[in-house]
Amino acid sequence: MRKTKEIQLVLITALFASCHQPEPQWRAGGRTHIRSDSTAPYTLMAHPNPGAPLLFYAFHPYGLYTAFGYRRMGYYSSALSEEVNIRHNAFKSRIVRGGFGESALSVES
Amino acid sequence: MQRIAIPPRNNWQQAVEQLGFGFHTANSPYWDESAYYSFSLGEIDLIERATTELWELCLEAVQHVIDNRLYTKFAIPTEFIPYLEKTWEEDHPSIYGRFDLCYKDGQVKLLEFNADTPTSLYEAGIVQWFWLRDFDKDKDQFNSIHEKLIAYWSYLQSYLHPGKLHFACVRESLEDLTNTEYLRDCAIQSGLETQLLYIDDIGWDRANKIFVDRQDQPIQNIFKLYPWEWMAGEEFGPNILTDRNLTYWIEPAWKMILSNKAILPTLWELFPDSPWLLPAYFEADRLTDYVRKPILSREGANIDLFRSGSLLQQTDGEYGAEGSIYQQLFTLPDFNGKHPVIGSWIIGQEPAGMGIRESDNLVTDNLSRFIPHLIV
Repeated sequence: MRKTKEIQLVLITALFASCHQPEPQWRAGGRTHIRSDSTAPYTLMAHPNPGAPLLFYAFHPYGLYTAFGYRRMGYYSSALSEEVNIRHNAFKSRIVRGGFGESALSVES
Repeated sequence: MQRIAIPPRNNWQQAVEQLGFGFHTANSPYWDESAYYSFSLGEIDLIERATTELWELCLEAVQHVIDNRLYTKFAIPTEFIPYLEKTWEEDHPSIYGRFDLCYKDGQVKLLEFNADTPTSLYEAGIVQWFWLRDFDKDKDQFNSIHEKLIAYWSYLQSYLHPGKLHFACVRESLEDLTNTEYLRDCAIQSGLETQLLYIDDIGWDRANKIFVDRQDQPIQNIFKLYPWEWMAGEEFGPNILTDRNLTYWIEPAWKMILSNKAILPTLWELFPDSPWLLPAYFEADRLTDYVRKPILSREGANIDLFRSGSLLQQTDGEYGAEGSIYQQLFTLPDFNGKHPVIGSWIIGQEPAGMGIRESDNLVTDNLSRFIPHLIV
């Protein structure tokens, strides 16, 4: 019901365009320019895994190896600031965080 | 409605990953293009009409619940009731919802309404559309999700508080992140300033009594892929009620009524002649063939199917403490052991398209597969 429409994805296509570089640059460990949000300038981001599919540019899983095996802690997103991506919780006395997000790991609905 | 088996595209994993669709496979494929469902235009028209009318019935039902203060049936926390009513009376912004429908023997029946935190939006709006472009670009699909999301975000702009529209979801789920980023993508295209943060990164400024983002900037408007019943029960829940910014939370709190399965007997009580509704009750003894559903449950958990009083099928889970409802059994159609449920999207006030999830049993759970569709 929309045959004539052209779909654009600004977040995904921005990522895709920035990641779609010649192969030698990937091998050389080239860097990727990624925008953190719609109002922010593009920022430099180290290429995480040369040859990985696009998904891993957009959402990098991260986690910890424990005595019980690997435990995924979450996903980095190129849309988030580095401060958030490294899960830095700089406590400021006036501001508290973590008051939402306790109930489950996914809404799955 | 027919189920047609086909060979998947040779490079289907790469094709969907290039769209940013990263959760196509868990232990087995979630995105499954080894088949598609075909519909006639008449069938699509019926599903579209059902969606339109169900939305109208739902809005009437919300007003009924508020007018008659039926909140205990919905296990809505007492302290949230004035706020819920305020969001309804002031018509706080809302963007979407997904009706789960059973289409069988020419009938469309509402199974439930995911009104607060529906997912599978990206698969329905984008992934299956690009599948169709590869499979048969001359065919059409019941799918204007992308256009309607952009258009409705654009419409909502003048109703939002000045400032950014934040988007929040849990950090542990790629599926949730993808759905949220897709909605944000459409908001950006509508001209909105946006910012993403994880739900646990939302801050509370104790001095100013406002919510803030990671940069300590006030949150004025926020789309959250996180259910109201969870928010209300968590540490920051009460802060919503004292927030000096009166932040717009999308979906708004009145969706607590519609996303609750207690809406099903409420709808039936109000509209017993509706062709889209199944008989549903709060009492167990009104039906012999029925489905017991907790009023608050997710992904097909804790569902019991009974036929002639005997247990036909059940699923595990940890829901049900708040009570259950009983809905007439109307089993999903059977395509050689494959059982599809139609997720019909309402965006703004209009039907916008559909996605089909298919299960090997009668309850659509978190092992279901997403199957594309087309119109013949």
